[in-house]
Amino acid sequence: MQRKTFKTSETVDFIVVGSGASGGIMARELARAGNSVVVMEQGPRLDAHEFEHDELKYRNLSGITNNPATNPQTFRNTEDQKAEKVSGRNPLTYARVVGGSSSHFNANFWRLHEIDFIERSRLGAIEGADLVDWPITYAELEPYYTKVEWEVGVSGLAGASPFDPWRSKPYPMPPLPVKSSGVLFERGAKKLGLHPFPAPMAINSVMYKDRPACIQCGLCGGFACEVKAKSSSVWTVIPEAEATKRCEVRPESYVFRIGMNKAGRATGVHYYDRDRKEQFQNARAVVVCANGAETPRLLLNSATGSAAQGLANSSGAVGRYLMFNKGGGAMARFDQPLNEYKGANVTRIMHDFYDSDPKRGFYGGGGFDARSGGPLTWGQTVPKGTSNWGPEFKEYLESYTYWMNCSGHGTSLAVESNRVDIDPDLKDAWGIPAIRVTRKDHPDDTKHAKWQVERAVEIMDAAGAKQIVPGEVGEATGGVHLLGTCRMGNDPATSVIDKYHRTHDVKNLFLCDGSSMVTSGRGQPTQTIEALAFRAADHIARFAKRGEI
Amino acid sequence: MDLTVPSRRQFLTAIGNLASAGWIATNWPQIAAAAEHSSHGAHDADAPPATIKTLSPGEAAQIDAMTNLIVPGGTTPGARDAHVLYFIDNALGSFFAAQLPAFRQGLGEFTAAYAKAYGADAPFSSAPEPQQVAFLKQVETTPFFLAVRRLTVLGLLALPKYGGNSDYLGWKLIGVENNHAWEPPFGFYDQDYPGFEPYPGTKPYTA
Repeated sequence: MQRKTFKTSETVDFIVVGSGASGGIMARELARAGNSVVVMEQGPRLDAHEFEHDELKYRNLSGITNNPATNPQTFRNTEDQKAEKVSGRNPLTYARVVGGSSSHFNANFWRLHEIDFIERSRLGAIEGADLVDWPITYAELEPYYTKVEWEVGVSGLAGASPFDPWRSKPYPMPPLPVKSSGVLFERGAKKLGLHPFPAPMAINSVMYKDRPACIQCGLCGGFACEVKAKSSSVWTVIPEAEATKRCEVRPESYVFRIGMNKAGRATGVHYYDRDRKEQFQNARAVVVCANGAETPRLLLNSATGSAAQGLANSSGAVGRYLMFNKGGGAMARFDQPLNEYKGANVTRIMHDFYDSDPKRGFYGGGGFDARSGGPLTWGQTVPKGTSNWGPEFKEYLESYTYWMNCSGHGTSLAVESNRVDIDPDLKDAWGIPAIRVTRKDHPDDTKHAKWQVERAVEIMDAAGAKQIVPGEVGEATGGVHLLGTCRMGNDPATSVIDKYHRTHDVKNLFLCDGSSMVTSGRGQPTQTIEALAFRAADHIARFAKRGEI
Repeated sequence: MDLTVPSRRQFLTAIGNLASAGWIATNWPQIAAAAEHSSHGAHDADAPPATIKTLSPGEAAQIDAMTNLIVPGGTTPGARDAHVLYFIDNALGSFFAAQLPAFRQGLGEFTAAYAKAYGADAPFSSAPEPQQVAFLKQVETTPFFLAVRRLTVLGLLALPKYGGNSDYLGWKLIGVENNHAWEPPFGFYDQDYPGFEPYPGTKPYTA
């Protein structure tokens, strides 16, 4: 297919910064509505055959993720500390490739429940946190959750969980085949009177929308799907956006500043092209979908004389309220081989403990799943009491196929001092000021994660495990779910964007990604990010049509 | 498209380009079969490193001896059988080159400590195994030992193109079969799964 291209001197209708879960959808929807769109992506565009089953490359060498060698970040727990560069992996990790983190996600697609949007009203204030209601409800987002499931592609079994929120349509595809971990998880949870059910996954279980069914290679999380069965933007909405002939995806285009005029309007974006040459693309409006780390960084790096503390930051909320998803689980060994390296990572989940229960004495809720990890990652650690070298270690290595994980995924509270901002000294390989992360878990997040460890141990025990290794709950030093850093809200004094994802301060600047989320949900945010993108694109396209941008 | 040539690139490109949904549907069994017999990396054709280029012969001998105590050989493959040394040498000369100075310093301290304990006449690598094991127990919490241990596990289980996991012996050790695609049943516990049983009061439904 001949792909549409635009000159930088042309003024396109929209620039979308980022081609991931939200950026891809935003581009497709705006282009289908008749707008010209340029998508700016930091990373390269890779074809299916270029993605490898290479655990070392993707998990240890930043194969497709932001690389600390070229895109370093610093980290500290509290604002009175000096942030230090972290060795190994960056605190805030995301995929730097066309398709963004939707390329390497595990593909767990959980809807938020109705309670997620109104927890502040239901639970009241929580000391040390900034828990607020969303400016939208589940009912407003439900049609867009359904749209994600049908337009992007999600497999699952509607109505299977007694705790599911209401829905207007079933999933378009049946669930993926169950793995041994799913069977054991289901067995254990049911013995305890709980209600596990088939996992909703953004992975094709059958041929769907001209993409094949999963070949069960077993390497989802951290890897891009080589057969396009995983519903990543690069295989779904990006080609559809390009098929409109009104959208150009521009890889290796690293946006570092949003252009502004004296009237306070965005005029386009400054970026480095693949030759690291500075360019400027003109546009009538800019939509930033760069993820919960890079979106606030871009706004803060776009500070101007009239917005000295960062663009769209009159509230001071840009970069604040950084949330991950904290959780706890257990690893368990069984008598017979499970062979968890085969098959999609997750096949059963459970939402019995989704809601926060005041009787526990702390805030927090979440879901559990049965999952697996790649052998190279698994072999790095050993259970307490097992030697990490010698014959005993070798015997442990030989037991790899007998293990599984029961993982809890839960809430993180929004805390104002937890934030992304700009490191005063560190710059990346392009000379762009780097991210500084300040983050300390709210005590309730830690209590809830420890509570989840206990539940996971119970489930694995009920499943008949011969050895259980409870997970250790420590202070979070980073995350891959990057949430809340440009929260939406009705009040311009306390939020960055309105309920339509328009920044309160700049009329033709919109933000939509994990940064928009007001609360963290229970661990699997991508379907919500995509639903928000469909909804935001609907409104933004209408604004454009009515000349209200 | 020539389906008789099971080239990973050809098949993935074919799937990726999606010539047509009908083509995929018609040819899916052959595609899956071919994928099963294909390899994992885009550079599989490249011969893996099989010489020592970064470490000196003396250094290599010490590291080789250590790796083979971390994952010993015997009736099943160990680190030496899987050519973990080639992986470590390749890693420290390329993608982990930044670690080489600290690694060399650690090895120097390791060698000096061994000489202090057992004399400088013969290196650690030529000592009797019980003596090697006894010394490793003394240093097993040092950053250097932990670095060698980490590299040993990586070399055992990373793709053979990096030098270790020769002939996928590391995967054989841990029970991982070298295929690209799978079909259920995957393991012991899912082979007789009767199907998901709905809960009272729920009505699961499909499209």
